[in-house]
Amino acid sequence: MDDSQARKFQKDLNAGLVALVLLAVLDRSPEDLYGYEIAKRLQKANEGEALFKEGTIYPVLRTLAAGGLLTSRVVPSYSGPPRRYYRITDEGRSLLSQWSGIWRQTRGFVDRFIEGTDS
Amino acid sequence: MSANAPRSIDEYLKQLRAALEGQDPALIQDALYDAEEYLRAEVAAHPDKSETDVLELIASTYGAPEEVAAAYRDTEAKVKAALKTPVPAAADASGWKRFFGVYLDPRAYTSIFYMLLALATGILYFTIVVTGLSLSLGFAILIIGIPFFLVFIGITRVIALGEGRLIEAVTGERMPRRPVHPGPPAGWLTRIGEMLRDVRTWTTLLYMLLMLPLGIVYFTVTVTGLAVGLAFTSLPFLVLARWLGWDSNATFSDDVHIGGWALSDHSMVSALILGAIGVLIVTLLMHAARAIGRGHAHLAKALLVVPGA
Repeated sequence: MDDSQARKFQKDLNAGLVALVLLAVLDRSPEDLYGYEIAKRLQKANEGEALFKEGTIYPVLRTLAAGGLLTSRVVPSYSGPPRRYYRITDEGRSLLSQWSGIWRQTRGFVDRFIEGTDS
Repeated sequence: MSANAPRSIDEYLKQLRAALEGQDPALIQDALYDAEEYLRAEVAAHPDKSETDVLELIASTYGAPEEVAAAYRDTEAKVKAALKTPVPAAADASGWKRFFGVYLDPRAYTSIFYMLLALATGILYFTIVVTGLSLSLGFAILIIGIPFFLVFIGITRVIALGEGRLIEAVTGERMPRRPVHPGPPAGWLTRIGEMLRDVRTWTTLLYMLLMLPLGIVYFTVTVTGLAVGLAFTSLPFLVLARWLGWDSNATFSDDVHIGGWALSDHSMVSALILGAIGVLIVTLLMHAARAIGRGHAHLAKALLVVPGA
């Protein structure tokens, strides 16, 4: 089994999914979260083995914020440099529900073929 | 895991920097900031483990330096493509179209705005640096000298980040979205030593000092160009107004003299010639502003971001 092919497939899948997962995490969270916290939540959800590397979420968070899907504020921290806390915007929420629909549709479609329930 | 897996935060950052070699310095600064924030939080979250032990697991959580570098490169390329302002007046446009196409370029207007603002920010930056440096020297013999210097340099870093954001908004040049990471907690004297050794501290101060003369020049050029250009451009309309009798008292137009030319002569031909010169001046100013904006962005990047520092 070629490991690099599996990794490439996972990477291609992640391209759009990271943004979807980040929006979902921030939508579920009652309070604002900063990068490290979000990374840890993803890690915990998957029993320590994250589907994507935590280092890849920071640039995506910034892109989402630049696109107006997240707002951010900087809060000074006692233990280090100031932290940037993110919160989902209304625009981000409506995009999330749209994307979730697409995701469910895609998942159902793919599953139908993989599990053979199609015939 | 590769043989040269990083065993300390510094090593990790060094490898990440190496993996991002050749990328935009502003992107490198952001990536290093994110990584340092994560790594320091991770080390702090595991007080029972040594930095080496924590770093051993980093490749499977945060990602190896090469992986993280690839993520930043990909995201940057995508965002750049998506946010790129379409440039009006394509390169194959005729000379006339290209000359007047500047009026359709938002960067020209934002650059004019920046050049007008530069006088105010230049005065502010210059004052902050001169005050901060002289008070730092004066306080150096007192106990408050050390914290004062730290706060002063901290302020210059915030200004550097803010000025970068402004320049990116005005010219589109990629500037950092994160400040320089201050590094691990350290004593005051260590901090000061680091700041004094950091090239960026000095280049930032130099930039802030330079902004005063530059601001004066930018402001003067813009105001003079706009005033002269718009005044000339308005002449044909003034002559027309006079012909139509809208200014019958001549309270306004009798006072208009440009060199030997007086508006009271009512010569439409000469007014039109001067008007055309006015349009030319304003258009040239727009081109100059756009070019100055671009040049200034490069200067700011060289002094505020400092590639490789």
